[in-house]
Amino acid sequence: MSDNHVVNIIFSDFQKKLDEEQELREVIRTICKEVDQISREATTVLQVIHHNEAGIAPACLKVRELYEKAREGYSRLKDAVPATDYYKYQDHWRFMTQRYCYLISLTIWLEKGILAKHETVAEILGISAVEEKEGFHLDIEEYLVGLLQLCTELARLAVNSVTRGDYARPLQISKFVMELNAGFRLLNLKNDHLRKRFDALKYDVKKIEEVVYDLSIRGLLPKTEEIPVTS
Amino acid sequence: MPGKATRRSAKHNCQGLDTTNRILVSRHICRHRSRGHNQHHTLSSVAKETVASFPANSPILAMFKEAATKLNDRQDRHERLVKLSRDITIESKRIIFLLHSALTKESCENTIQEANERLQKLIKGPIRSIGLELENSPAYLHSRAVTAGFQEYVEARTLCSLMEKKELIQWNEVQKEFTYIIKNEEKDEEKVVTTMIPQLDYMLGVSDLTGELMRRTINCISSGDSDECFHCCQVVRDLYTGYLGLFGVGKELSRKMSTTRANVAKVEAAVYALRVRGGEAPPPLLLPPPMPNDWENHGHHSDDEGFY
Repeated sequence: MSDNHVVNIIFSDFQKKLDEEQELREVIRTICKEVDQISREATTVLQVIHHNEAGIAPACLKVRELYEKAREGYSRLKDAVPATDYYKYQDHWRFMTQRYCYLISLTIWLEKGILAKHETVAEILGISAVEEKEGFHLDIEEYLVGLLQLCTELARLAVNSVTRGDYARPLQISKFVMELNAGFRLLNLKNDHLRKRFDALKYDVKKIEEVVYDLSIRGLLPKTEEIPVTS
Repeated sequence: MPGKATRRSAKHNCQGLDTTNRILVSRHICRHRSRGHNQHHTLSSVAKETVASFPANSPILAMFKEAATKLNDRQDRHERLVKLSRDITIESKRIIFLLHSALTKESCENTIQEANERLQKLIKGPIRSIGLELENSPAYLHSRAVTAGFQEYVEARTLCSLMEKKELIQWNEVQKEFTYIIKNEEKDEEKVVTTMIPQLDYMLGVSDLTGELMRRTINCISSGDSDECFHCCQVVRDLYTGYLGLFGVGKELSRKMSTTRANVAKVEAAVYALRVRGGEAPPPLLLPPPMPNDWENHGHHSDDEGFY
């Protein structure tokens, strides 16, 4: 320590701040670890959709329970993070939140065949969907990355449902992913992580189209559930 | 030419897959005609067609339109902040330059006054705009856009306060200056808007200050003001001591440490030269030559911003 009083104050103040920040990060890390664990479990549970049709509904029920637990974790996280500092510590929960967005949107799609809205996902996690000056919320970019992960999983599901003998599923997937693809094209993405993830979407689209193509040239498409040809 | 045609059709095949499957599904109706028609299709027209094929009130597309607005707003705000930050950087650099130009004690006072006025203008201008811009958005979301401006401002502000009162202005004092009372004439209301300056940005700015103090020390030697010179040298040393004592700092600050160390070395060498040879030569000759045995010679890592 030097003799300069003001300089001493400046540095001891800053050190104090650093220490507090360090402690807070530790707390956040612990919570995130627990919540992340739940997301891994949910991911594993949902893997059943690729080989067992009958297992889908029970799997959805099971992961719904897990989301309840995650919701509780997020509420602890919300309490731990200072209202103004969401984006300061965002990296701790970024990937985890993306995974939850993917899992929840997949669950809702399996249940109802519709797209889970930003607000719906946020509500299931028990957090706000609106970005405000202060407060914990579901960032729109995280939600969008979650949707892109959903597309990848659906591309896999399209392939596997054909293996299982379900020829109607790929059509449903194709229509849904096409619409998402069209939606993503409406976004003005800059050269960031979302853009990079979006660039991979075309491979998922291609895969699904190939499945549908294979089915259609062999006449395997279900007659009753014809794709409505829009005029 | 044939190469181009092949490439084009390959491109068409890939991107037109969804068109293809629609054609196939509609039981090969008009297969040939639409194929022929598709020859004119480009990536964008296929995409447009796909979008058009969805009902206009599709909830999915509506959701994406909303998301697009949000993302655009965020990007636009970011761009505006970067611009403001750059304005602050430029003006701060000029203020620092102005402060360096004060060589005699008499001119010093006038210069400091002018510098203070210009700093006030920054506070009332771009910095206030940043506060207003971020009034309803999380400040940390855009902290990367404004950090450069804040650092440079802190550098100018601390240098000015050091020359004026021989003391550094502290972070909370700087922060206090960034509070604005905005009056709404129509409703006769008042609201308080604060531009948040992260303490880290302040510390990064102070670490740059050592470079300015190094320059000032050398200026003081050439103008023969040895008291000021020793004072500056001591401040640089104190700051360096402070930075050495910190632990758990982020990577930005540790990256600046080597520059700070180099600055200390230069200042100490200059003061040493003044002490040893001070009696022998007139002050202007004491500008230190480039030091051959600079103990931390990061030649590429110069803090010189181009006006030396």
